[in-house]
Amino acid sequence: MDVVLLQLLTGLSGASSLFLVAAGLTVIFGVTRVVNFSHGSLCMLGAYIGWTILTHLPRDPAWFVAGVLLTAAATGLIGMALEMTLLRRVYRAPELFQLLATFGVVLMVQDITQWIWGAEDLPLPRGRWLRGGVEILGGRFPIYDLALIGVGPLVLGLLWLLFTRTRWGTLVRAATFDREMVSALGVDQRMLFTSVFALGAALAGLGGALGLPQASANLNIDLTVITDAFVVVVVGGLGSLVGAFLASILIGVLQAFGVLLLPQATLVLAFLVMAVVLVLRPNGLLGKAQATARSASIACLVRPAPTALKLFAMAALLVAITAPFWTEPFLLSVLTEALISILFAASLHVMMGPGGMPSFGHAAWFGIGAYTVGLLVGAPLPLALPLALLVAGLIAAAFGLFVVRLSGVYLAMLTLAFAQIVWAIAFQGVSFTGGDNGLLGIRRPGWALDAGNFYWLTLGVCLGGTLLLRRILYAPLGYAIRAARDSAVRAEAIGLPTNRLRLAAFTLAGAAAGLSGGLFSYAKGSVFPTYISIGHSVDALLMVLLGGVDSISGPIVGALAYTGLYDMLLRATSLWRLVLGATIVVLVVAFPEGIAGASQRLWHRVRPT
Amino acid sequence: MLRVHGLNSYYGRAHILQDLSFDVAAGEVLVLLGRNGAGKSTTMKSLIGLVRPATGTIRLADRDIAGQEPFRIARAGLGYVPEERRIFADLTVAENLEVGRQKPRPGLLPWTEARLFALFPNLGPMRDRLGCRMSGGEQQMLSIARTLMGNPGMILLDEPSEGLSPLIVEQMAHTIVALKQEGVTVLLAEQNLHFAARVADRAVVIEKGRIAWSGSIAALQQDETARAQYLSV
Ligand SMILES: Nc1ncnc2c1ncn2[C@@H]1O[C@H](COP(=O)(O)OP(=O)(O)O)[C@@H](O)[C@H]1O
Ligand SMILES: [Mg+2]
Repeated sequence: MDVVLLQLLTGLSGASSLFLVAAGLTVIFGVTRVVNFSHGSLCMLGAYIGWTILTHLPRDPAWFVAGVLLTAAATGLIGMALEMTLLRRVYRAPELFQLLATFGVVLMVQDITQWIWGAEDLPLPRGRWLRGGVEILGGRFPIYDLALIGVGPLVLGLLWLLFTRTRWGTLVRAATFDREMVSALGVDQRMLFTSVFALGAALAGLGGALGLPQASANLNIDLTVITDAFVVVVVGGLGSLVGAFLASILIGVLQAFGVLLLPQATLVLAFLVMAVVLVLRPNGLLGKAQATARSASIACLVRPAPTALKLFAMAALLVAITAPFWTEPFLLSVLTEALISILFAASLHVMMGPGGMPSFGHAAWFGIGAYTVGLLVGAPLPLALPLALLVAGLIAAAFGLFVVRLSGVYLAMLTLAFAQIVWAIAFQGVSFTGGDNGLLGIRRPGWALDAGNFYWLTLGVCLGGTLLLRRILYAPLGYAIRAARDSAVRAEAIGLPTNRLRLAAFTLAGAAAGLSGGLFSYAKGSVFPTYISIGHSVDALLMVLLGGVDSISGPIVGALAYTGLYDMLLRATSLWRLVLGATIVVLVVAFPEGIAGASQRLWHRVRPT
Repeated sequence: MLRVHGLNSYYGRAHILQDLSFDVAAGEVLVLLGRNGAGKSTTMKSLIGLVRPATGTIRLADRDIAGQEPFRIARAGLGYVPEERRIFADLTVAENLEVGRQKPRPGLLPWTEARLFALFPNLGPMRDRLGCRMSGGEQQMLSIARTLMGNPGMILLDEPSEGLSPLIVEQMAHTIVALKQEGVTVLLAEQNLHFAARVADRAVVIEKGRIAWSGSIAALQQDETARAQYLSV
């Protein structure tokens, strides 16, 4: 009994921290419609700034509260600067580009934080009051955690007052509903957006600083926090504060008991909850239906490539085929990986572009393919590779059955959840996946041991696969898939089974990604859980978005540019995240339609057709 | 009050408004007549800045407002009541009014909740009702009241009588006349000549984005050819 109560209290105090961060995220989303990936980074900054401030203050409760509030204010100012310099420029860009831009900020903040505070974890020296506890039913419960339980409801109450009892709050709620009308009534939206962003950032910073006594300031906070906050916000319903509050309690408590009952499955638990909630209530607990993101801009069907581009492609192909004759081994292995990236990116393009379904967890299918090959030790390559494709395709079809009816951000979040589950199985299923150590010793057959031969195999499979995808996209099936994306209602009206079409695109994408993952296992000779990490899913997104989602040349250009850029950066500077992040941000602001899209526009401007 | 000269607006590549020029004198009610799709709403949106005009000048009380952001134009004294009313559904009547509130304007008696409830007696008793729980006519009243809270010197009314019952249309006509007496300049968009004739002083008829006819309301009522050609009555 007492264990249950203590665990419940632990869960509730965890819920408070979750809520603070999620509240900021949801408030920002409600008004600006931007899903702010860098929200976790603001929380991390809050932890570090809080550490600096609190270590300079006397160690007693009153100073602690003052220091934490000061930290929140400082983080709010940083958020304000971020909004004014970056976010303001991407409000009109497509949803995923906004995500991408804020992910660029995540990368930059990581390097900046490490540069200022160093790579070591920074624990907060705990004053005596912080170590105090209270007796509850024979158990001792930390007094700080007990205080934290009250913070969540307190902040919820203050926010409620702010949003219902002040003019600012009324304007914010009105803008959440119809920002154009608000501006036509004489309200300066820019001020409103900036202040909302500052408030959200301050809440994130508050969450970061309040977490200090329990966990030291460290460089992993950003991604951990953002995934948790995404889950909470999505479960609660995007834009709903009360929903976020309920969801944070649900997830906080579940996690607390999960640790007790199923320590093996803690990572999976939160995501399972999210998956169940979204399948039952596609808009979250208290969310409202989202307007479709793709209403205004219907992508034009891409025109056939100009002759010059075809010539260029032929030349590139020639260079690619002859590569083993003139390159050094290292470059050849980079090229092999680049080819695999092309197929990986192209498969995501099928989902996102023509399919209209953004994915945050595309690495799941890649990883399933990779682990299929890894687990089938002894199976010959000509059998194992098609199996990688088949297994990934089948699982994608099964998962797709549940999710293809979801839209936009929710779909992206659910794919993220699925990828996290696959990752957790790979990471925690030590007995058969080897856990963190991965599966080693994947052997290529004799003829493919030679790097050149394997390169040609990869070239054949990846380019063949990509061209096949392209072929399908321009066949009747592809047109039907696009029709389902552009207007589900109209597509239904002319008798197209939209959900089945989306499922087809989803399955196709999963299968192709699985194939690329299988190849990657052979290329590396090993499989690790990192293949399924969020970072790897974001790599794929970056490739597609850098290249542009509107044509298959996009992922090709994007994959090559990204692999090249990444490789160069890794070798050139230790601050590669900073440079990569800044590059992403600049590219998104400068070319909202991607590199391929932008060069296409330039091309048609130079030579009007 | 308002001088529009050589206004051209596009939606993407579609050239919607073609060289519109007209003036609205201070204190007058001018009606913009035209069939569905003629370009009335686009004209209104171009004036308030929700559609960015490609070329042309718009002067509001001797200030150039063409190409400015909507909130600046609104603060310069132009009120806009959209055709779709666009009430904030999850805000109450009082909160909707609060969103519209702006500073008082010199030379104009500032609008308050009390004065607006006197002008729209239906709204008073439903002060705390949510926008989504109101009838079409009530929403139309609220939309006008909300815009008046900004104390505009001139107001754009986009088809305020559309889809309302005859009784409410009657009220609406009284409201517009009352506004005129308050000294508010009105630019009204309408398809319905009968309604327009009850409230407006002058008319500008547009057809496919061009001005096809202009003159006094009385003259338009007499000109049967123009009526048959440009209006679907
Ligand atoms: N958002 C829009 N995008 C493209 N075309 C539009 C849009 N809104 C209106 N139009 C077109 O502009 C023309 C004028 O429309 P509108 O100004 O709404 O006419 P009215 O208000 O007189 O009925 C119509 O042909 C209409 O189809
Ligand atoms: Mg209209």
